[in-house]
Amino acid sequence: MAKIKTPAMEKIEKKNAKRKKPVKSTPARESWKRFKRNPTALIGLAVVCVLILIAVFAPLIAPYGYKTQDYSAMMQAPSSTHWFGTDQFGRDIFSRVIYGTRYSLIIALFCTIAAFFSGGLLGIIAGYCGGKVDTVIMRIMDVFQSIPMIMMAMCIVAVLGNGIPQLVAAIMFASMPTMARNNRAAILRVRGSDYIESSEAIGVNQFQMIVKHMIPNAVGVMVIYFVGFLAVSIMMMSSMSYIGVGLAAPTPEWGLILNDGKAYLTSAPYMMLFPALMIMVTCFAFNLMGDGLRDAFDPRLK
Amino acid sequence: MSENILKVENLVIHYETDEEVVEAVNNISFEIKKGEVLGLVGETGAGKTTTALGIMGLLPDKVGHVIQGKIELAGENLFEKTAREMRKIRGKKVSMIFQDPMTALNPVKTIGDQISEVVLLHNHCSKAEALKRAQEMLAMVGIVPERYKDYPHQFSGGMKQRIIIAIALACEPELLIADEPTTALDVTIQAQILDMMRSLQSKHGTSMILITHDLGVVAEMCDHCAVMYAGELVEYGTVEEVFDHPKHPYTKALYQSIPSLDKDVERLHVVPGMVTDPSNLPSYCSFADRCDEKGEGCKMEDPEMICLSEDHCVKCLKYAKENITKEWKEK
Amino acid sequence: MENLVEIKNLKKYFSTPRGELHAVDNVTLNIEKGKTIGIVGESGCGKSTLGKTLMRLYNPTSGEILYNGEDIANMPTKKFKKNYRSSIQMIFQDPYASLDPRMSVLQLIEEPIKVNKKGLSKAEATVKAKEMMDLVGLAARLEGSYPHELDGGRRQRIGIARALSLDPDFIVCDEPVSALDVSIQAQILNLLQDLQKERNLTYMFITHDMSVVKHISDDIAVMYLGRLIEKCPANEIFKNTIHPYSQALLSAIPIPNVHVKKERMILKGELTSPIDPKPCCRFAARCPYTMNECMEKEPELRELKPNHFVACHCAEQFVK
Repeated sequence: MAKIKTPAMEKIEKKNAKRKKPVKSTPARESWKRFKRNPTALIGLAVVCVLILIAVFAPLIAPYGYKTQDYSAMMQAPSSTHWFGTDQFGRDIFSRVIYGTRYSLIIALFCTIAAFFSGGLLGIIAGYCGGKVDTVIMRIMDVFQSIPMIMMAMCIVAVLGNGIPQLVAAIMFASMPTMARNNRAAILRVRGSDYIESSEAIGVNQFQMIVKHMIPNAVGVMVIYFVGFLAVSIMMMSSMSYIGVGLAAPTPEWGLILNDGKAYLTSAPYMMLFPALMIMVTCFAFNLMGDGLRDAFDPRLK
Repeated sequence: MSENILKVENLVIHYETDEEVVEAVNNISFEIKKGEVLGLVGETGAGKTTTALGIMGLLPDKVGHVIQGKIELAGENLFEKTAREMRKIRGKKVSMIFQDPMTALNPVKTIGDQISEVVLLHNHCSKAEALKRAQEMLAMVGIVPERYKDYPHQFSGGMKQRIIIAIALACEPELLIADEPTTALDVTIQAQILDMMRSLQSKHGTSMILITHDLGVVAEMCDHCAVMYAGELVEYGTVEEVFDHPKHPYTKALYQSIPSLDKDVERLHVVPGMVTDPSNLPSYCSFADRCDEKGEGCKMEDPEMICLSEDHCVKCLKYAKENITKEWKEK
Repeated sequence: MENLVEIKNLKKYFSTPRGELHAVDNVTLNIEKGKTIGIVGESGCGKSTLGKTLMRLYNPTSGEILYNGEDIANMPTKKFKKNYRSSIQMIFQDPYASLDPRMSVLQLIEEPIKVNKKGLSKAEATVKAKEMMDLVGLAARLEGSYPHELDGGRRQRIGIARALSLDPDFIVCDEPVSALDVSIQAQILNLLQDLQKERNLTYMFITHDMSVVKHISDDIAVMYLGRLIEKCPANEIFKNTIHPYSQALLSAIPIPNVHVKKERMILKGELTSPIDPKPCCRFAARCPYTMNECMEKEPELRELKPNHFVACHCAEQFVK
């Protein structure tokens, strides 16, 4: 019912008539509704889904193996048989880039999980406990932050050689401080809320407080940091492989592919162009998704 | 006979989102004469702030829509103005003060700069002259003028609100809209601020719309009072008329819900039910579902604004001409 | 009438980088069983801190709080939680922020029962929660709703149900109606009064609104910058206001009556700092009646009329 009928009202009535039954309005559902309304966020999500599919179905999509060398087709520009061209060993760049998606996404995930459970957890503890514990943990994080990531990676590689665990370890140590700081902020924001005080007043103990009230409410913000960090790890990973302290050849990781093409930048720019584009698109997609999540969870935009 | 400084006619404002349409302001009309103070009273969701934003041209971009109506400021129709023309009017002809003084000032600019800014925007004068005007304004609102180089965080809530009033009055606007200017302040500070506003208003002859939910503030500060409910003006008149002889059931109920300092009551009078949902308003009287004085026709038609005298108008079927003569059949 | 709560020389100080913040400073107060004491004051007076210290949400810096004769201020936290958590409960000010947005109405009301009453099974807890909803006037169909779907009045009812579900004897109401519209305020105040009669509850009602506090309280205590400056029966404060600050507070309230032209007592200046305050009357800097003694010595709380206590050096001139 209304006082005046406007065209906007009729549009909404038509929309509501199509809907079957009223759905429960939990905060999670409200956030998802807000996310859906954001076009850039949906684009980010779509691209990420496509990338995941590429990673899963890589063997079906890539026409060649990532190691397959064809000496009769070395240094070829993009053509109908080799969409992204071939490198100096006759390997199809398109296939390498496709397989590279697997490495990038999976290693990024490992790095983020590792950083989350090390730095992130420390941040949660610092935020919750406050006082001396907080100070000690955050000052230790400051020490880690003062060591340049590349240097740390080089030291680790010098001792243990190239490889996935070494890469993950280097990225984990490098990103612990930021993860700690972000999660600490997330917990502090929740800890200052009135409903935490209200729970204390009814006698909820510390453990229940963290598990039932603080973490569920801080999770939204932490998810945003998690997704954002996936983009950051991909950048870090590629940078390290580019300078040789990441993964070892012939792994088709995008940074390594970039490295391969370094010497031929002027003569065969396509060798660097495509892996660079992939890195850019992937990071962009994760960032769009992360921004969309932040807007969806932010109650002020309601 | 002083002229009208503001004339609002048949104003309808909707907020349109993907999910629903909120009928925030429904066909209100009122006038303010030069030098007058109008109190706009109502509870949350009554549409008071939306009306103010509509007058200022500050409705949120994508969602706020003026469906119909006319707003005339000193004879000029505001809806016919371009964005550029409106910017010239805001701050110069009509100013607004908002509720929360804590966040309304820019924390990285000195208060002198913030007052000078509005002077420079609307006048062709030098920076030095603008600063001089800023210092004059500070003295007028009771702040030591030498503090023009201080930053907002160095002031308390009450003083920040004074600075905001100084900014609003710097270009001597004809109309000042104050949206709950003292709600966030302590009652002793509120007394200081209201005193100051009243004296400035009478000294400069500024017309004012004072939006509040506090009937005490209206009684003290205002000449006329307009009561809003669900986006409509349900009662309008001089403060004497509306306070001494309230006619609309909602006004009466509002009066009785406030605990009084003079008399003792066992239980406060309660308006039954919930505030009418502005996204689902009935086609009949919006207050009918909660009214304890409703009659037979109340759930069938929407009442018109009926003027009982020159100073008192009510939007209630009880006072429609045909109902006054015969007995009001209560349901 | 026996006293349920006896507060003796209670102090709560907070350490800040700039010094000690005297939030509650040497407050002595008795609260009778089954009655309501209204604590009034403006922002920064320490009334909320007083309420939270009584709840042991803050640990007192010094002083005693005798609850039914036993000192709960200096009791080990574990013992307090075990014996008194259920008896002393709180209703919070902001109905929008004091409820966990991720829990439904029923879950919110069940929570205190599940956390405290270990004897009840899950089903029994749910039954009790539903009873509470009925008691505070929340419709049963709202069980599965979430706080963001409800208005301020309903959210505050949830807060009241949460506090009541533990069958407390004493409830600290921290500005429970300040964030609500006038018409909803009336509903909640009536509800609180009804519940008090039915269950013989004792209330500490904290507010800055004098008309609300007069309506609901039996006794009123006025606080200023952490100190208790006047305490008397509710009617007394309005008929025989003694302390200059109380006078100023009352004269500042706008009255919804057009014909009454108030003689307003405007205070000069702003609040002085509660951090390491000097040993003088805290109100001296703004008081229109300041004498030399006021700047040198802190006034003690004295009984100037039967059951009417004032902390002011020159209070005699205002006693009628």
